[in-house]
Amino acid sequence: MLDVAIEKIGKEETEQVLIRCHEMREEVKEIADFVRSRQGSLSCTLEGAQYEIAVADVYYIESVDGRTFLYTQEKTYETGSRLYELEELLRAKRFQRISKSTLVNLMKIQSIQPALNGRFLLLLKSGEKVILSRNYVKAFRDSLKGERGHEGI
Amino acid sequence: MKEFKQFLVNKMILFFMLTTGISVAIFFIGSAFDKDARFGYDALLVPAKYAFLCVLPTFVTYSRRELSIKMQIFRTLLELLLVEAVVLGIAFDSDYMDTGNISVTVALAASVLVIFAAVYLFAWFKDAAEAVEMNQTLVELQKQEIQKN
Repeated sequence: MLDVAIEKIGKEETEQVLIRCHEMREEVKEIADFVRSRQGSLSCTLEGAQYEIAVADVYYIESVDGRTFLYTQEKTYETGSRLYELEELLRAKRFQRISKSTLVNLMKIQSIQPALNGRFLLLLKSGEKVILSRNYVKAFRDSLKGERGHEGI
Repeated sequence: MKEFKQFLVNKMILFFMLTTGISVAIFFIGSAFDKDARFGYDALLVPAKYAFLCVLPTFVTYSRRELSIKMQIFRTLLELLLVEAVVLGIAFDSDYMDTGNISVTVALAASVLVIFAAVYLFAWFKDAAEAVEMNQTLVELQKQEIQKN
């Protein structure tokens, strides 16, 4: 159980969130990720090195075999966060679930094309294509209209 | 499980669309090749029976995982082949169809292809219209976000 303390500081000091913990537990990591995402960045790794990348640079996020990957223009990073956690964290940043395993940054979509069987193909500004599953079409449409889009099924 | 229920609902819709399409196809093929034929009440169930049997092969398109576009196309073609096999199988087994006449068999196979294509084409146009609408909304959203920042 974490105690929460908020201290008011003077304008001349830098605002910060400091978490004092005995060890790096899952809940601590979640809180840190939440704060970072509110600031517009995500903590992730690439070839063993730790990076902070801007949320705005992420094109889409995919979960593959229990691991979560962030795709930017050129690189693919891995994050320890689960897809559902990122979905909640990034909803206000215009990220939307488009299939069981994928979240897309709405600001990075170039165009939407029909695909077979009620699905759609999202062409991203990076040139990549991701599939909008038919079960998530309604939620996706709602999120484009600025409504909170929950998954369709 | 919810996904599978939704899949079943879609198959019900397909069943009713096919029943209508098959009734129309039988009318045109029958009018062209055997317009004086008379049937009993049991003939009324033929389109529904055909539609039901034609819906069964469509289950090859179900997958719990998201299919790639290539795999979706492959399964759709497989579905068409199975539907053709089912319809021709029923026709050869039926007393109503003169399958000894090659023209009737070809017309039947062609009508299956036309109905199958029409169903997919109808869905495609519906999705294309929806994509146009979503693209317009997307452009608006992106403009608003850029102005906000």
